[in-house]
Amino acid sequence: MKEEFRLLIALQDLDIMIKETKDQSTSEELKNLGFKLTGLKELQEARVKLARKIPPVLINRYEKLMEHYTMAILPVTSDKCLGCFVRLPSVFFSAAHSHRLLTCENCGRMLYLL
Amino acid sequence: MDANKLVTFFEEDLCIFSLRSRKKFSALQEMIRHLAGTGRVSDEHFIMEMLKNRESLGSTGLGKGVAFPHGRSLAIKELTILFARSPGGVDFEALDSKPTRIFFLILAPSDKGADTYLALLSELISLVQKPNKLGELNKVKDYKTLIEILGGNGN
Ligand SMILES: [Zn+2]
Repeated sequence: MKEEFRLLIALQDLDIMIKETKDQSTSEELKNLGFKLTGLKELQEARVKLARKIPPVLINRYEKLMEHYTMAILPVTSDKCLGCFVRLPSVFFSAAHSHRLLTCENCGRMLYLL
Repeated sequence: MDANKLVTFFEEDLCIFSLRSRKKFSALQEMIRHLAGTGRVSDEHFIMEMLKNRESLGSTGLGKGVAFPHGRSLAIKELTILFARSPGGVDFEALDSKPTRIFFLILAPSDKGADTYLALLSELISLVQKPNKLGELNKVKDYKTLIEILGGNGN
């Protein structure tokens, strides 16, 4: 897998964690269970560092998608987009596409072949 | 969630009864490597990064020798629990600074199962707070006994 995709996936995992920490009902529930969630600043710093390693054009696309969706980048596991469930064109599955970041023509999410 | 539902998440190949690593991140690495060996993780690196970030948010070692490392990642397909027991104890930077001997590693996919994952955490945390449970878990050496301790019938 290309390094850029790997960085985007790691960024998305981190963004989901930050979002969960900021979500009041989830964080209240975790605190009630005994977890101390004191390191939000550390997470945000890690996010800045990680985002710096990704080309701006990709980050911009990723962030626009994250404004609308829970996930901006998804693996291709069947012939349908995991985000919007619309069928993907068969050309996606040719060897020539295996190392490229693909785009779902219906929802615009970034896709990669596993 | 009742005990019978809880035990369905525990599988024999997802248990380590003698964790070797004694340090925080090597212990997590050992658990993730074990998971990867069962084919449940598509990429160890993503899981490790996510768990390290989660620990920087605040240690999941809640004290009394038990930790609940957890989080979501695109690299996990289904809600998965790994049980690990460390006979010697791990320095997991627990909230009470004591060594951690029991681990429940809970991993959830990024896109689904948010409620189940929190419900599982909650159920496990209240379970270990019951009298004698931690003492029994500290001695557990096989899957059947583990399931009995967790409240299942061992089948
Ligand atoms: Zn789509």
